[in-house]
Amino acid sequence: MQTARNKAWSFTWAIPALALLGAFVYLPLVQNFGFSMVEWDIYSGSQEFIGLENYRKLVDDPIFWSALGNNLLYSVISVVFQVFGALVLAALIESIRSDRWRRALRAIYFVPSAISLTVAGLLFYFIYEPNLGLINFLLDVIGLEGWAQPWLGQESTAMLGIIAMSQWQGFGYSTLLFAVAIQRIPSELHEAASIDGVGPGRRFFMVTMPLVREMTGLMMIVTISGAFQVFNEVMVMTSGGPNNSTQVLVTWLYRSGFVSNDFGYAAAIAMVIFLVTLVIGLVQLWITHKRKVEW
Amino acid sequence: MHTRTRLTAAAFVATSALLLAGCTGGGSGEPVDVTAEPEYSGTLSILSKFAGDPLEPYFEDLAAEYTKKHPDVKFDLIQETDQSIKDKTKTLTASGALPDIYFSWTGDWAENFVGGGLAADLSKVIGPDTEWGKTFGEASLDAFKYDGKYYGVPLYNNGKFMGYNKAIFDEVGIPVPTTFQEMIDSCSPIRNAGYEPIAFGNKDGWPGLHYLQQLFAYNVPADVLKADFVPGTATLDHPGYEKSLKEFKTLVDQCTKSGDGTNGVLYTTAQEAFSAEKAAMYYQEVLEFDTVTAEGNAITADEFGVFKLPVPSDPAGDPDAIEGAPEGYLVNAKSPRAALAVDFMKFVTSKENAAVLASPPYGQPSTVIGAVTNENSSAAVYEGISQVNEASQIVIWLDTVTVPDVAAAWLAGGEAIIGGSSTPEKVLESVRTASDSAR
Repeated sequence: MQTARNKAWSFTWAIPALALLGAFVYLPLVQNFGFSMVEWDIYSGSQEFIGLENYRKLVDDPIFWSALGNNLLYSVISVVFQVFGALVLAALIESIRSDRWRRALRAIYFVPSAISLTVAGLLFYFIYEPNLGLINFLLDVIGLEGWAQPWLGQESTAMLGIIAMSQWQGFGYSTLLFAVAIQRIPSELHEAASIDGVGPGRRFFMVTMPLVREMTGLMMIVTISGAFQVFNEVMVMTSGGPNNSTQVLVTWLYRSGFVSNDFGYAAAIAMVIFLVTLVIGLVQLWITHKRKVEW
Repeated sequence: MHTRTRLTAAAFVATSALLLAGCTGGGSGEPVDVTAEPEYSGTLSILSKFAGDPLEPYFEDLAAEYTKKHPDVKFDLIQETDQSIKDKTKTLTASGALPDIYFSWTGDWAENFVGGGLAADLSKVIGPDTEWGKTFGEASLDAFKYDGKYYGVPLYNNGKFMGYNKAIFDEVGIPVPTTFQEMIDSCSPIRNAGYEPIAFGNKDGWPGLHYLQQLFAYNVPADVLKADFVPGTATLDHPGYEKSLKEFKTLVDQCTKSGDGTNGVLYTTAQEAFSAEKAAMYYQEVLEFDTVTAEGNAITADEFGVFKLPVPSDPAGDPDAIEGAPEGYLVNAKSPRAALAVDFMKFVTSKENAAVLASPPYGQPSTVIGAVTNENSSAAVYEGISQVNEASQIVIWLDTVTVPDVAAAWLAGGEAIIGGSSTPEKVLESVRTASDSAR
């Protein structure tokens, strides 16, 4: 009886947090789903229920699909660089015997992550600038002026230019997290593998990778869901242009709502983003949980 | 992590949801009485497009002066730039938090607020027959006229002109071009002399639309053009559109430094190139004239000249049209301080304050009759605004005259033409599709 009362009492402490979570996370989610089924004129305030029409419109919208494709490209490249690339780099840095060098390299790789995305976007906008930018200047200096491009000004290179900046900005953060995970691996495991004659490459695959699996899973979730929520860097560098070639889901949501005044359609895009990131998160958590390694 | 992912995504969705949840039912309630005697107390909120140098102090000074006259009136001044005010206005509209007085372009932009019941009918105080209305040019008042009623306080007039550097033209030995082809032909000798012929940055898309709209006015008959701005009557099949798109592409390819990469250059970068005397020409608004020749810039007011974008051969439209529009302020139809808002705007547009606005460093050609003179305005501003006043018609900016979806299609099309990824035919097809969908 006493235990049950204690349990009930302890639950009351969670009520404020649950109320806040409900009011600011779950209620707006439900509301947003409702908004995605109306045609909403922000000027008159009028709302007309149109069912799933906004979702049908999504299917027929070529820019929506192109934006989704850009998000997928963003995800794939981010996973390659910010998950697997960062893991390899972290392993290399942690294998360095000199403490001083190890610390210095960690700091060097981490510095870009300390810069805000908006600032980094602006910085790279000017690096890519066709007339005054650093890249075209350097290409000119080394005699490769023929390779100079209007990097963000043409459809073929603009999206890749934004993704490259994003990798530069996020790489150090992932590397640092992997370095922490690698440091947690008992040194005896690496020493035992060395005594058995296992080389550094195989040690990476046989010891390091399995033992940082949870961190890898976590980084995959963060990276992929982050890639579907990209906004700042695109707005700063290209605003979704030229000719909508760098639209991603969130910029298309923004444009639909704030430029085309179609807030119902924007809400439908928001639901798609939510569902995509939720499904990816659940699948990855399930995989990571199934393969949990303990030592 | 599960929670974090869901929270992140949910927070994103929540932002849009909360924004929309704040909407108020526009158009309802009793209309405000703008003719009432103002009560000189409370805080008057204003959303202006005067952020940054050199414009920012203008409204700040006026607010301070007004408070001196009426100590119980305070101001909540939100100042935005040309780019940021679009988002700010829509955010405030969607959340039902429009200020008492807010900036507006003419055309479809203002019509949305009028249609939504968010702009007070000012006919009784600013109509052409009223005391206040008689201080403005009638064309300026008409720019904010919808269904026979007057909704806006036009603050300054505007038009687009090709600014040119007289010293560079003299050095290269070329005259001011009188036809579009002469302007294109002048680009090669200017380039050979080491200058960028026309500075142009189209990162934001709308600078390209300004060229296109002026060319459309020249190449498409006025009545056809007007009908094509409205999705319900648009056909967008006049050959003048295709001709204009081709002429625009020629200008970009032959006269700009970045050519098909111009979409990667900022408008302000282009302006700086012109101000630094690295470029011979730069297509700009009257509002910018005093900025490019401001103290500290290489180009001086004496070296700065303006001419209308030259007319192409065989124009099917109106060769005397000029692209531009007055810009002004609307009074919130739901404001409990509407009468005070009107009183403040009368103060802003008094002849004395209008003259200050027209003078350097502001250089905003006031719509108040007699405010822009040879004495108080720079020569270029005076010439530009005189030409605007004498034009056979003023054609409103393409991105504000038509509905957003059609404007967006023109914007993407302009960028595609510059980058060479689309043809004029395909661009027109996409604009027609957008226009048909908007019906």
